[in-house]
Amino acid sequence: MTRGELARLSVVVFLFVVVQETVMLDIRIGGVHPDIMVLLPILAGIIGGPSRGASIGFTTGLVSDLFLPTQFGLSALVGCLIGFAVGLATIALDRTAWWLAPLTALGGTALYEVTYGVLGSVLGQPQMLHVALARIVIVVSVTNAVLALPAMRLVQWGMAEASTEGMPTSDAGVGAAR
Amino acid sequence: MAPPRRSRRPRTTLLLLVLAAVTIITLDARGGLDVVTSGVRSVASDAFSPVRSGVNAIVEPIGSFLAGSVHYGAVREQNQKLQAEIDQLKSQDATTADQSESLRQLSALLNLPYLGNLQSVPAQVTNFGTSNFAATIDINVGRSDGVQLSMPVVGLGGLVGLVVQVSHHTATVRLITDGQSAVGARYGPAPGSLAVLNGVGAGRPLTADLVPSNTPLTNGEVFVTSGLQDALFPAGIPVARVVSSHTGDTASQESVSLVPEADLAHLRYVSVILWAPSQ
Repeated sequence: MTRGELARLSVVVFLFVVVQETVMLDIRIGGVHPDIMVLLPILAGIIGGPSRGASIGFTTGLVSDLFLPTQFGLSALVGCLIGFAVGLATIALDRTAWWLAPLTALGGTALYEVTYGVLGSVLGQPQMLHVALARIVIVVSVTNAVLALPAMRLVQWGMAEASTEGMPTSDAGVGAAR
Repeated sequence: MAPPRRSRRPRTTLLLLVLAAVTIITLDARGGLDVVTSGVRSVASDAFSPVRSGVNAIVEPIGSFLAGSVHYGAVREQNQKLQAEIDQLKSQDATTADQSESLRQLSALLNLPYLGNLQSVPAQVTNFGTSNFAATIDINVGRSDGVQLSMPVVGLGGLVGLVVQVSHHTATVRLITDGQSAVGARYGPAPGSLAVLNGVGAGRPLTADLVPSNTPLTNGEVFVTSGLQDALFPAGIPVARVVSSHTGDTASQESVSLVPEADLAHLRYVSVILWAPSQ
């Protein structure tokens, strides 16, 4: 990652934190607030592939953990898993398709929230499965699906180039290229 | 021709990141990172506080303007000037009513009967929880106001929760309805029997442990903090009111549901009691 890309990504993460901590926390739908920080590992996975999805998911998760009352490191753990999973699942898909970001945001966010509740419960906070998980999954997933397209533009700007990492390679192909 | 192969790098990266995250979580849970994580969280909160205030100052008037525009559009054909005046008067009325309510709540907070000689700091609620998975509130007082970790927080009616994070100018309070909350309480005629009130999530009734089966409880009976030695709360603060109780055929404990005395869903102002568990 170049310095320029790091700087742009930092700006994007900062913007996401600002919007989350100011606008999103004031919006309550059935007592649940949207969580756009979850979009970062998902979009990073789509754009950058599994490895960068996992790395960016881990880093942005740590940033999220600074502002959350739950276990420190939990968002980082779930973020890297979801970033990796999304990167892997979307490798073979056309990344320029307009529907990819909203649809992946919908499914990825649902998976993120369920994983967050289950892992939090397993790692010492059993009450995390006693919350209205279904309501959280629905509200956060739908709002993230709606916000996915503009957020995708922003994350694309932050990540200079799409990665082909993790995609199938061939020794014969490499040899031929040489 | 060699068969296609996948790079192992992504899996190695994932493995390393998962190991790092699990290590951080484990160290944090065991208290090994307490100083580091609470310090970093405190610095982040302090650094972000002016940004949050600044953005709120910009966003709130825009939201008010948009809401006002929708209302204004519906009556555009009417006299615009007159309508603007009416809107202004309504706004003034609403502001006055809002200020009166704030004054009433603050005055009541300064004269809470159960506080006795305990010193307290009034605070405004700035956020209703930053996580969907925990019942917490953020308040606008912090270390600079004398607030420390584990100090009790009360509101109109009774106990609200406990300070779990504190920065220079802000603090996070875990509500008594949070699943991690447990409050030692007394009930019944003096000196009272002991119980533990557990939270099970925001908006849900509390449950009581250690209440023997067939204990005669009446709906509306109030449980207060026990104030035992090393308790997290001083004695005598109303916590919650019984809404239902029953005993199963084979149960050794009464199954009790209670609602918090403080209206946790509509908190605007609270008081942090400057009291530490060792006192």
